[in-house]
Amino acid sequence: MDPSRSKLTFSLILIVGVLTVGPVVMLVLGSFSEGLTAFGQFTLDKYVEAYTDPALLDVIVNTTVFVLGSSLLSTILALFLAYLNNRTDIPFKFLFRILSIVPMMIPHLLFSVSWALLLNPSNGMINLVLKNALGLESAPFNVYSLWGMILVEGLLDLPIAYLIIAPAMASFDVALEESSRVFGAGTWRTLVRVTLPVLRPAILAAFILGVVRSLASFAVPSVIGMPGRVYVLATHLYQMIATGFATDYGKAAAVGMSVLAASVTLIFVYRALTAESEKYVTISSRGYRPTVVELKAARLPLFLVVATLSFAMAVLPVAVLFYTSLVPYSMVPSARAFSMMGLKHWTAVLTDPLSLLSLKNSLFLGVAGATLGVALSIFVAYVIVKVKTRAAGILESLSFLSFSFPGIVIGVGFMWFFVQTPLYATLWALLIGYIATYLPYGIRPLASAFVQVHSHLEESSHVCGAGALTTMRRIIIPLLVPGIVSAWILMATMFVRELTLSVVLSRPGTEVLAIQILRFADDGLWGKLSALGIIMIGISTSLVLIATLVGARFRPVQSAE
Amino acid sequence: MKRLLVAFVVLFASAAAHAADQDLLKRAKSEGKASFYANITAVEPIIKAFSTDTGVKAEYTRISTTKFVATAITEFEAGKFMADVVQGPLPVLELLKGKGMLASYRSPAAAGYPAWTRKDDRIQLFGIEYIAVIYNKEIVKSADAPKRYEDLADPKWRDKIVMPNPTNHATTIGWLVGLREHVFKSEAAWRKFLAGLAANRPMFVASLGPTPAPIESGEKPIGISMPKYIVTKAPAPLDWARVSQPMLGTPRAIGVASKAPHPNAARLFVDYWLSKKSMEMLAKDVGEYVLAPGVHPPIDGISKAKVIAIRELPDEEIQKWGAEFKKIFAVK
Repeated sequence: MDPSRSKLTFSLILIVGVLTVGPVVMLVLGSFSEGLTAFGQFTLDKYVEAYTDPALLDVIVNTTVFVLGSSLLSTILALFLAYLNNRTDIPFKFLFRILSIVPMMIPHLLFSVSWALLLNPSNGMINLVLKNALGLESAPFNVYSLWGMILVEGLLDLPIAYLIIAPAMASFDVALEESSRVFGAGTWRTLVRVTLPVLRPAILAAFILGVVRSLASFAVPSVIGMPGRVYVLATHLYQMIATGFATDYGKAAAVGMSVLAASVTLIFVYRALTAESEKYVTISSRGYRPTVVELKAARLPLFLVVATLSFAMAVLPVAVLFYTSLVPYSMVPSARAFSMMGLKHWTAVLTDPLSLLSLKNSLFLGVAGATLGVALSIFVAYVIVKVKTRAAGILESLSFLSFSFPGIVIGVGFMWFFVQTPLYATLWALLIGYIATYLPYGIRPLASAFVQVHSHLEESSHVCGAGALTTMRRIIIPLLVPGIVSAWILMATMFVRELTLSVVLSRPGTEVLAIQILRFADDGLWGKLSALGIIMIGISTSLVLIATLVGARFRPVQSAE
Repeated sequence: MKRLLVAFVVLFASAAAHAADQDLLKRAKSEGKASFYANITAVEPIIKAFSTDTGVKAEYTRISTTKFVATAITEFEAGKFMADVVQGPLPVLELLKGKGMLASYRSPAAAGYPAWTRKDDRIQLFGIEYIAVIYNKEIVKSADAPKRYEDLADPKWRDKIVMPNPTNHATTIGWLVGLREHVFKSEAAWRKFLAGLAANRPMFVASLGPTPAPIESGEKPIGISMPKYIVTKAPAPLDWARVSQPMLGTPRAIGVASKAPHPNAARLFVDYWLSKKSMEMLAKDVGEYVLAPGVHPPIDGISKAKVIAIRELPDEEIQKWGAEFKKIFAVK
């Protein structure tokens, strides 16, 4: 192998290893230690207690249905939206592109609460409307159920899947589809036989990321699952360790090890399924130009479907939040509720020094964190895709380490790790922790974009005398722009609303938005919570718009169109 | 002559106390700040008033109950426990005391508090996290609200109750056990109440924080929640059921950290916290039930209510009862 590539691989293993291994090692130690911290007398009790719990079997069944259901839903919806938004002449594309990623910007807690307000069986707004309109005796929907959890989690994870699939869709070589048509295949057959198989790495990556994310999710299981008494792994872990005052995170880490093992296995399965990456190359030295598929008669019906979907997953929950931020307390909409609206909660939030400080910190973490994270992800994704050695496989697994742990555990892993360093209780600890945990958000879209770039392009550059860095800067990066934009958006919006690590690592002076939102939630102050949530969505939307516009300027495809 | 002597002694004592106060203030000022680790909510006004009144900065780190002990012990063992003062439910402070993390300090400000609030010279109780039956007064008439806890088992409340999950929420488990020990006459009567409550299929939420929202929106018109929300969520149509039996709750406690980086500022802060001024703020602004004599939250009828601090349950007992409630409430 090229020695410079091998040097790059090992440097990256070192960097990513330092970022992700520390907290996981601490959790391993904690799971084998007596007491409540990472260091104590060796014991196997935590494993024995955690795995002999009779409730575990039911929980595993529920978790499997929840995780597969929500990942399938998010992947299918993302594929559908990405295809229409990137490859067809559907109207209002730009708007739909932004709407597809809105759920990414809403704190999961708020998104779940919004859906509970819409679909709860007692007085959920949609249920009330349907009951009145159809003269029904009882509510047609009950969100507090496994299907409700799948729906809400699926919608929440949709932007992740979308942002991975969309760049792959955007840089699709039309020659492949044209050949298919030349041989007499129709649009549908071409889609199923050519387009989707070529997109396999992106689709699988989106699905796997969805699986890992929903396994770690806590908001939906807690807000939607618990009232319906449907327990999945995250809520089971919480119940197991938090019954009492001396919460034993080591025991949760013991169960977390299985989740980690499952995630690492998934990564290897993914690598095996996409091993012959040459098959998925769509940008070679021949030049490429994605074409637009004309929807013709299907244009209007499909537009209506996408509009309804966007309405349900982005407009409706945000509207609920906006409404909640204006009414004095939680009320079902009525003439009286509208007459009582005011800006009390907004004034309170905008004059609260802690909310303003957290706004500043989150904005910094979003912009700086995403920029650094994407820079690192470009190199890691390059190695994962283009350097096919065992070391590259190790690098890919390492990048998933912190990400794979259930949310309630990994934060404590970082606390156990950072407390041993001078970074503890600083903003830098948050920055590093964010990048380390959410590295897959940077790597996955970039990796699926790299897969499509043929090595001939690099080789031609090398032949013309360019070095590795020049080739990266002049050839590879410009072709990766859609992937870079996706990765940056995923990381920035994630960091602006990050809660899992922040709740453990944030200290006076380093408060962030999600912490402030959680405080309002703990105090039951939904009005302020919603006002701050809307501000958070506003910030994220601005970041997404800026990234999309900057990306559009640098996109080489634009000049070809 | 005797009177004169008494007056002189009192004067001398108060002058000495004043001098001691001044001395503490001076030393606290030279330390610069007090760091306060707590799980109590909405206390920023007290933190601000402390800084204004004393010139010593106070820094508030809020840590949720489930992470409190793990965070404090991790920092303590790594030599990075930054708290000067810690506040939390009594069982949490007992755990910290067991690890040698609390210093002994008897605050002169607690002199007027009932004797039972001075657990020992390391822990001072100042409030009770009181739980009550809260209802939406626009949907439920006060005449129809429960008059006794047993009324919650009435089938008319079927599918209409919200409560924190009794299988794992420690405070709620403690509350149910408290009813057994302080309210119900027999084990059978208590179990009958639990069976009736379970049959009414209450909706479970993770903690007390999410209980008021469904009550005020009418999703569930009644719930096991806290009267303080009547203050913090005003003008929401919330009221508390005036049951004839006492209200119960977990005691709230405060103490000085044994390795406080600013020990004098810590004492000054505890004195300030326990003062009538702070307790009035806590009662008035946040609706807390405080133990400073004569201070009550501005909630109609609360000043006459009997509120009992429940016994401190060790974690093993909480888990045992959690498992028992799992069966009773038939939660998988």
